[in-house]
Amino acid sequence: MVSAGAACLAIALCGCDALRRIPSDAGDIKIVEAAVFEGGYGIEWHRKIARNYSEERAADRVCVELWGDPRVAEKIKPRLLRGDPPDLFLMLGLPVWMLIADGKLRDFNAALEKPAYGTATRWRDLFIPGTLDMFASDGKVYALPSAFGAWACWYDARMFRRHGWTVPKTWSEFDALCRAIRKAGVEPIAFQGKYPNYGWFTFVTLIQRCGGLAAINRINRFEPNAFSHPDVVRAARLTQEMARNHFQRGAMAMTHTESQLQFVNGQAAMIWCGIWLENEMKSSTPPGFEMRCFNVPAVEGGKGNPKLFNGMGAEWIFVPSDARYPEEAQDFARYLVSPINAPDMGASIGVISPMRGATPRSAVSPALQSVLDMIDNAPGIFSVRADALFLEWTQEVMQPSLSALLRGESTPETFCRRLDEGIAAACANPDAIIPPYVSYDPAQFGETP
Amino acid sequence: MKNRSEQRIFIATFLAPALLLFTLFVAIPGVRALGYSLRRWDGLSTPVYVGFKNFATLFRDSDLFLTALRHNLFLMAVGGSLTLLLALFFAAVLHRRVRGAALYRVAFFFPNVIASVAVALLWVLLYSTTNFGVVNGLLFHLKDALAAAGIAWPAGWTLPFPFVDSKYVIYSIVPMIVWTATGFYMVLFLAAMENIPETYYEAATLDGASPFAQFRHITFPLIREVFTVGLVFLVIGSLKFFDAIWVMENQWPTKDSHVLATLLYQKVFTEYNVGYGSAVAVLLFVLVFLATLLTLRLSRKEALEY
Repeated sequence: MVSAGAACLAIALCGCDALRRIPSDAGDIKIVEAAVFEGGYGIEWHRKIARNYSEERAADRVCVELWGDPRVAEKIKPRLLRGDPPDLFLMLGLPVWMLIADGKLRDFNAALEKPAYGTATRWRDLFIPGTLDMFASDGKVYALPSAFGAWACWYDARMFRRHGWTVPKTWSEFDALCRAIRKAGVEPIAFQGKYPNYGWFTFVTLIQRCGGLAAINRINRFEPNAFSHPDVVRAARLTQEMARNHFQRGAMAMTHTESQLQFVNGQAAMIWCGIWLENEMKSSTPPGFEMRCFNVPAVEGGKGNPKLFNGMGAEWIFVPSDARYPEEAQDFARYLVSPINAPDMGASIGVISPMRGATPRSAVSPALQSVLDMIDNAPGIFSVRADALFLEWTQEVMQPSLSALLRGESTPETFCRRLDEGIAAACANPDAIIPPYVSYDPAQFGETP
Repeated sequence: MKNRSEQRIFIATFLAPALLLFTLFVAIPGVRALGYSLRRWDGLSTPVYVGFKNFATLFRDSDLFLTALRHNLFLMAVGGSLTLLLALFFAAVLHRRVRGAALYRVAFFFPNVIASVAVALLWVLLYSTTNFGVVNGLLFHLKDALAAAGIAWPAGWTLPFPFVDSKYVIYSIVPMIVWTATGFYMVLFLAAMENIPETYYEAATLDGASPFAQFRHITFPLIREVFTVGLVFLVIGSLKFFDAIWVMENQWPTKDSHVLATLLYQKVFTEYNVGYGSAVAVLLFVLVFLATLLTLRLSRKEALEY
């Protein structure tokens, strides 16, 4: 009786999802477990690639079993703790630098030296410069981007044509455009005010426009008073003026979906957002809406090359040091992020590959083609690392200070001073993890050093 | 003797499942949280013992903890007082057998059966600054009506008003709390009132006591114990308040909107500062415990029997 019950329980458990997600080897087949965050891009494409890879590696007895979940990070954390993680995971929401410091992630350096699938070129050489930097330390790359991320201003080209508005080249033109838009009875800029960090990336780009990459380098090196430099204060002032004069009324109480709906419904003419916007809003975008983007305009008298943009790798892939099959997992990552799969990734889920030229224009929508224009036009990308390194600073200093700046409750000088004080406190914390920083070379990026 | 032994086994059999669950899911995690509060731990590496450093950090390094506590106390004082007063009022009115009392009872209790997350989402929509926000829509109409009557709209009151902006959310949440909780306390008080013998009211009426005097001298003293229970529920609920703030702030509460439970969650699950978060949890437990004791002690009075 008892054994029959146990057998029933075992059969029931074998069929249950929880056990299926922890594959065991079937004979001598190496089953690589891959866990993927199931967000806006879904996981169907990743599943397809896993199937294709398993077929290609069938002779080597390697098979990828891929699962996904919107709360994958929460499911993986306890497994990381007990030393039984999946062989590969693609997700947000993990304290990556803590994992690196604790030795829980394996670096991709050996894999990056191999040729990319479908070419004879070294895999590392195909990545857009800068996209491997986010989680690199001491020359080791601990995370691999499977997508490209960039910050841009989005607009409806049809609305612009109807009103005779043109894409601004300078910040003054941008300001004049916003005034013209309001005069026409349309709110100039929708804003995701419930998440003030949506304003951060525009501010960061304006820092580069005003102070060049030298200003970005000072901030990334955590130099004292880097934010209080006059160029950064000027960027803060421009950010505040844009918010006070041109943000949609009530924007500070809107979520990202509310404000983005305002944009696609034509209530607001423009919105600052990452390149996931089109995909995120595709079910709500009305027919005929011509979503396009432009880079942050040049600031008059600024020191920065206006062709550069705030960009980075995205949709990061990690292989834990406790993985059962780390070599195979990294090989699968090399297959997933490869020139042979990039066109299909663009066509299927609207993702631009982090590899230069790997996503053909014909594979993506006109909205993403405008992003490709931005990439093709830029000698490089840049980003600021403080928000990824100092989680407490981001939550308790950066976001509330930025919110106060956008609302007009603090001056640009006060805002910058608060950021500096917060960075100084974060750096003084003995628990802080501060990896060495490789400075951007302004000359290489078309700027006068 | 055998009977007593059997009785003990019988009692233990019934208590054991609850005791086991309580031990597994409340007592052991509680004790472990106390242990974590004395450690520096990111949830992934080996915890390091730091003594009371996390508690010192709560009070010394920033005013975040005290601000969150102040928000809890505000919700308790304002939201709680309004809820209890309205609940008492409605219960007393319904107790007087007004026409349609059953309908009112269901209507007032209805918000209480909706999941708190759904209630919060509903209020987010009501407060929305987009063109479907009902509250702002009404304010726009009010502004137009005042303008038509030649009355100027107060300067600086820009519409749409961002009710769910982090800066105002702690105030905007008060009507939601009152709307949701009043029905529950009303039913609680009404049930107690309906146990009071009708003869007391008849005698009081013959003596010429007004309805207010009857409430003051008969109703309230006789439901005091139930009122105290309600007060304890409210104090505990206010200190543990979480879900509505979490929803209205889209999981990103700020210093302007944090309450203790959201601060705890953010520290542990967003910033991976398990030690600090556990210290908040321990203090939250101590506060709830003390507040409950204090409430019971202050409202202690000899129970009236009737």
